[in-house]
Amino acid sequence: MSTMSDDSKNSLLEEKLIKNLNTKLGVSINFQKERRLWTSIDSDKIVDICTKAYEMGFEHLSTISVTDWLEEGKHELVYHLWSYSHKVLLTIKTKIDRKNPNISSINSIWGANAETCERECHELFGVKFEGNPNLTPLFLEDWEGPPPFLKDFNWREYVKEETYDQNNPREKVYFEVKK
Amino acid sequence: MTEINEQKVTGDFSMYFGPAHPGSGNFSIKCEMRGERVLKATADPGYLHRGFEKLMEYREPMQNAVLSDRVCVLEPLQWNLVHAEAVDYLMEYEVPERAKYIRVILAELSRIQSHFIWYAAMSLGTGFMTGFNIAIGYRDYILDVLNLITGGRVYPAGYICPGGVRKDLPEKAENKILELLPKIDYMRKFALKQNPAWLARFKEIGTLTKEEAIKFGAVGPILRGCGVESDVRRDDPYEIYDELEFDVPVMDDGDAYARFTVGMQEIEESMKIITQSIDRLPKGEVKTPNLKPRVQFQKAEGEIYIRNELSRGEGAFYMVATGQKTPYRVKIRGPSFTHMIPIIEHLLTDVAYADVPAIYWSMYQCPADVDR
Amino acid sequence: MKLGIVIEVVKNVFTKPMTVLFPFEKIEIPERNRGEHEFNIDTCISCGACARICPNLAIEMVEVPSELREKYPKTYPQVDLGKCCFCALCEDTCPKESIKLTTNFYFATFDKDDTILYPVKAE
Repeated sequence: MSTMSDDSKNSLLEEKLIKNLNTKLGVSINFQKERRLWTSIDSDKIVDICTKAYEMGFEHLSTISVTDWLEEGKHELVYHLWSYSHKVLLTIKTKIDRKNPNISSINSIWGANAETCERECHELFGVKFEGNPNLTPLFLEDWEGPPPFLKDFNWREYVKEETYDQNNPREKVYFEVKK
Repeated sequence: MTEINEQKVTGDFSMYFGPAHPGSGNFSIKCEMRGERVLKATADPGYLHRGFEKLMEYREPMQNAVLSDRVCVLEPLQWNLVHAEAVDYLMEYEVPERAKYIRVILAELSRIQSHFIWYAAMSLGTGFMTGFNIAIGYRDYILDVLNLITGGRVYPAGYICPGGVRKDLPEKAENKILELLPKIDYMRKFALKQNPAWLARFKEIGTLTKEEAIKFGAVGPILRGCGVESDVRRDDPYEIYDELEFDVPVMDDGDAYARFTVGMQEIEESMKIITQSIDRLPKGEVKTPNLKPRVQFQKAEGEIYIRNELSRGEGAFYMVATGQKTPYRVKIRGPSFTHMIPIIEHLLTDVAYADVPAIYWSMYQCPADVDR
Repeated sequence: MKLGIVIEVVKNVFTKPMTVLFPFEKIEIPERNRGEHEFNIDTCISCGACARICPNLAIEMVEVPSELREKYPKTYPQVDLGKCCFCALCEDTCPKESIKLTTNFYFATFDKDDTILYPVKAE
């Protein structure tokens, strides 16, 4: 168990880092919990901020995730960056329009790693990454429908139509489930 | 599985490594060949895509705990732990101290058996069947103990559940685990023996530099084999890892042999962790009081990114809850994702085809967590 | 080095093998093993909690065959082992401990219909 002095030392270090990030990145950094910082930025600044963060020691791109906010009409892109030197996770969030999901690729910083993460987001959510030369399908084969992880694509309905038979007594139960 | 290119150069063709290769798992790599050399390789994942992230949006946390086993067959307990921690944070559960220790013991046992499979797979890939048989045999001793504790040999079915663990350790389970340790140690020493054939197959093969490893997002034993001292258990401690003493083995060579050696040295650290945890195992509850089998996110709102050190490296859950019964969005980061797509494509340029299995297995791959 | 191999061989000649001769000799299955379900429908209160928690929709609440309906008038769980993932959530959620997963795991079969586990078997 970390002692009190350790805790206060840690939080002091983190405060310093937050101030440093605030000035260098030009964004306001929020503190979620120990070793978890997050910030919300405009989508056109993503390459700029990521480059600066990389230079400040956030070298490891953990993953890129997309959250589909259906009611708001936005896709939220979440970039998780880990710093080996500061030992802090920085989460960069940005929102883009759901109907026109375009954002610049960050492959200038992380190369093939970022490209692969973006390929996944493109395939499963339909987000287009400008500047990524390789947005070919990754997991799905011969898929022509809408991007399957969108909130308005109902998997259960799709599977029922495609796979299950209502007359089969053992598959009948799948047709009674709501949602 | 081979197709001859239309180019005029004879000896140019493309060839698939996997998915029907005996040692490839459900994954395939398309190699463009010139004679015996691989010029360029393209990874082709997707044979195991089950869409966990979407499936979890339709299920409640306790059902997701059961589902989280299946993310990776070889380390189900550790995936249980990542999922449980994400739910714990969002639901604000106070996990009892005893449950934390049990979680760590099981996660480390799971890590050891996964490393044995690594050794087995590497032996299989290079035609050393004795190594395969012995490693799988010794792994079975661990599976027997897992069966005793969780009720399933491979799949614990959400034994590490949100709010603690589903059942307390059975009687004498601590002794059974301690009895395992000499066997594990024997197997570890066997795997680390300086076997000349082994050295010839893996030394100076698939070398990854430190800078490349960081840029491509390598994690776990692959990153530590390149000389970066990074371990989520120490840098970003979860559960009780900050109270335990263990080392982080690192090697600077960055080749297949270094990665493997780091993995095998980790077994010793895991054994240290298990002995310490059993020594300090407190008594008491193993579940959050009043935890019902049916858990729903009805009050929880927010999001969390939980990182854990799995046997393959950093595995993570990004979970968003919006007060509905089920999570709004789940993103799973599998450790093999970066290893198997960008890094393997990078490493498999201009190598002999006979080295492909050696490099492939030294990446400690699990196609299941690439595809999810 | 070479002597080491000889010692290893001699040791292995006298140690017990890792495997057992299966149908004649069985390894002990722990109490907690999640195998085939066992119902105790005398205590079942027909609440349907098991059917609701089942992640695979393998449990269905059904009526018993007509000759037993006088004794068991309500609906009881019927498990489709073909869908079951043996997670034992039904066992955890049951308020009366009427459903339990046993150590029996011998249920390989050639017929699909054999995988349905009825609450009571008709005589």
